[in-house]
Amino acid sequence: MRLAAFAIAASFAGVACAGPMGYNGSTMAMGDFGRNWAEAWVNHAVTPRDAFGAGYTWMRSDDDRVIHRVAEATYTRLVHRWNMPHAQANAWFVVGAGVMTGNDFEGERFAWTPGFQLDYETTRVYVAAMGRLYRAGSIANDYAAGRAGFSFYEAEYEQVQPWFLVEARHMRAMSERVEVTPMVRFISSRYFVEAGVNLEGQARFNFMYIF
Amino acid sequence: MKAYASVAALAALASAAALAGPTLTAEVNGMVCAFCAQGIEKNLRALPATQDVYVNLPQRIVAVEPKAGATITPETLTRVVRDAGYEVVSVKEVNATAASLRGKATK
Repeated sequence: MRLAAFAIAASFAGVACAGPMGYNGSTMAMGDFGRNWAEAWVNHAVTPRDAFGAGYTWMRSDDDRVIHRVAEATYTRLVHRWNMPHAQANAWFVVGAGVMTGNDFEGERFAWTPGFQLDYETTRVYVAAMGRLYRAGSIANDYAAGRAGFSFYEAEYEQVQPWFLVEARHMRAMSERVEVTPMVRFISSRYFVEAGVNLEGQARFNFMYIF
Repeated sequence: MKAYASVAALAALASAAALAGPTLTAEVNGMVCAFCAQGIEKNLRALPATQDVYVNLPQRIVAVEPKAGATITPETLTRVVRDAGYEVVSVKEVNATAASLRGKATK
């Protein structure tokens, strides 16, 4: 149960660029892969501010004993965007509804997963904070994460821009630790990828792609 | 005969070029990430009238050049940029192609 919160919340964190959805009319695929979890999302923006999609998450506890899987339908809302001359800030809301299965309980449980994200980005700096609640019957977990990073140089639109960032995230009751992951990020006008290794030596890979 | 045909073709091309609308450039707020700004480029290129598109993140500029004989209005450019999630501060006409703007920026 705690794993579900961990996984869903982390999946939201994994898609943290400027936002967890693409432009109006686009379809965006996102993935977040680590030792204790793998997840993938796809959503379609039906307006500049609304996207509907689906996601699947596989997750495992730190001690490797519990495995959960979540399949959900998602709704993402750009609540507000601040477009500034040399910066952009966003407030996002996301909610998922679906089913969770696992090896520590029988059958399926209905799950719903409201969350938020606040981010601020310039061509050189990125900071974000996000949180997500997980509710499934008697299961209740919270998740919180923060990210901060910088780009090595300002890039032209056609160029690949490398970034360095650090993410700290905590999944209450799922893991007692605060997971800290330094990552490198590469952004171009065609793709977005991140790769890193957390302080426990576990690899992590994220990507986003807009069709 | 061939010479006449060539001249006529050139004249037609010149005439169409002369009828083409101007390249438009928009100053855009919030455009800080190439991955997120790709919607501007893709949707502008999808317009039937578009010849070329140029995006400059550091200068916050989006330029769209119409095909010969075609015109793109400031309203269309503004709508596409807004649909991609950004704010248009101003739009102006420039006497340059998107390629020449790109060339100037890389010098």
